[in-house]
Amino acid sequence: MIQYAGIILMLIGIYGLLTDKNVIKIIVSLNVFELGLNVFIISVGFVKDGVAPILTSVNNHSGLIFVDPLPQALVLTAIVIGLGTTALGLAFARRIYMKYGTLDLEEIGGNN
Amino acid sequence: MMNPVLLIAIPLLLAFLSIILKHYKSQLLLLGSAVNMILIFGLQKGEYIIGGFKPPFGINLVLDDYAFISILVVNGLFLVINLMSFDKIDKLGTVLLVSLAGLNGMLLTGDLFNLFVFLEITSITAYILSSVSKKYQYSFNYLVLGTLGSGLYLFGLIILYSVFGSLNMADISKQMATANLNQMLIPTFLIFVGLAVEAKILPFNGWVKGVYGNANSLVGPLFASAYAGTMLFVFGRVFVQVLMVSSYLKVTLIIIGAVTLLAGEAAALSKTRIREILLYSSIGQSGLVVALFLSGLVFPAVLQIFNNIFSKAVMFTIGGKMADDTGTDEADELQGAFLKNKLAGLSFTVAAFSLIGLPLFYGFYSKINLLLGIFSLNNFWLPVVILLGTIIEGVYFIRLLVKLWTPGEEGHISTEEYATKFTIKIELAKVIGVVFLSAILIIAGILPGMVRNNLTESGQLLNEESPSYMFDLEGGI
Repeated sequence: MIQYAGIILMLIGIYGLLTDKNVIKIIVSLNVFELGLNVFIISVGFVKDGVAPILTSVNNHSGLIFVDPLPQALVLTAIVIGLGTTALGLAFARRIYMKYGTLDLEEIGGNN
Repeated sequence: MMNPVLLIAIPLLLAFLSIILKHYKSQLLLLGSAVNMILIFGLQKGEYIIGGFKPPFGINLVLDDYAFISILVVNGLFLVINLMSFDKIDKLGTVLLVSLAGLNGMLLTGDLFNLFVFLEITSITAYILSSVSKKYQYSFNYLVLGTLGSGLYLFGLIILYSVFGSLNMADISKQMATANLNQMLIPTFLIFVGLAVEAKILPFNGWVKGVYGNANSLVGPLFASAYAGTMLFVFGRVFVQVLMVSSYLKVTLIIIGAVTLLAGEAAALSKTRIREILLYSSIGQSGLVVALFLSGLVFPAVLQIFNNIFSKAVMFTIGGKMADDTGTDEADELQGAFLKNKLAGLSFTVAAFSLIGLPLFYGFYSKINLLLGIFSLNNFWLPVVILLGTIIEGVYFIRLLVKLWTPGEEGHISTEEYATKFTIKIELAKVIGVVFLSAILIIAGILPGMVRNNLTESGQLLNEESPSYMFDLEGGI
């Protein structure tokens, strides 16, 4: 079920990207999209009744059901990359505001 | 024996150093790209395991002939462009070093998720480089589209992972051979969309106009040659070697490529600014290469990528330089600019002729190979589209060249007094660079056997079934 939550979040993000003209809101939409994607990736590795894939003194036999650790590692990388892009996007937003005095892309559109 | 991981690690190391040694950024950049060029010749082909985990569990670098020829060309162009526009590097040294690491990583990696990471590294550097023009809204637009594109690529990738349980390219390719391709439609299409944003394929290339159209003489040629070439090489790797595309989707995607070709060329015809003409021509060429890769014609596609990136490196350098000096790149205002810069003008002309595909130039060899390749597949509509695109290309390039060589009104004898009032001073380094690149285009056109011997293996290795034509006409005669 959690896959659907991820996909719905991604669609909300894309809807925001398509309809918003405000630079900050576009960055927020982008983050919502990435969040949905991350939820989806995590959900791929989910196993019902699975435990964390760590061998301990309590969980030390191979009969246990583990969740897939790889998607979690992938999400970690994706989050870091998303952070980098968000930071760069905010830097651009600041520059746009300094140059044009507005954050609305439609208002900027006229004066290149 | 060198490990190809050095091609990624050395630029990254120098990028960190360049933050400490602030005043030597451009020197460090040149050092990094020169060291990379030397390392490439010491490389041995093969598969390199990173971190001691055997694939498909760990990440590996694949250095086959296809990867070798692509890193050779991309690193070479990167070095030449940086030498040509050394004065523009300044603070960009760090970013350019990171981008070099990312580009090499994309070409070498044998893992789809690793490709995503390098794709993002390269894209982030591209966003920063695009902001050199101070047109931040275009950079922002590029950032949004690029991030969305790589997000969709990651989405497709994860679906593939959940089906096959692997991220290794060779492993996925092996498992895909026995899979039901109709169930693979969604991931394949998502990965296509993700790569298409950076490869400038039609509905996803809204960012190109603002970014390429305002690029200076350093960023423009880098985007149009090193970045564009890498993206197309990666596209070929993923869509020929890794993913199997079901026949219906393949036809759809080839049509998207063909439409991109025609739309790009048609848009270029209607433009008057030099860089806009070049950027729409780049879009058209990307569409052509994508259509060729999807048709399974690897060898002609690689030839055409070379033709495109060498020509565009020359033309964007000169176009960007004119715009840097004069503040405009309207062809009308720059009439007769080449009369004052004959060598640079000659190189621009050679590059344009090669791109059109006139005999005696390298472009002829690549065009005739790709047309023969398509005919051998019994496909008769794609050659029509390509030839139509070539005619349009010929029209706008020759119109542009006439304007830049012969100032004045039609019907009048053109003399220097009609020429542009702007003084354009193209430095010696740029002239040597563009003459060098255009000389390659001429030599490769006269002696195509040389290119072929180095390339056939790369075409065959990627896809053994692909017909790779060895059609040499020396100088097209």
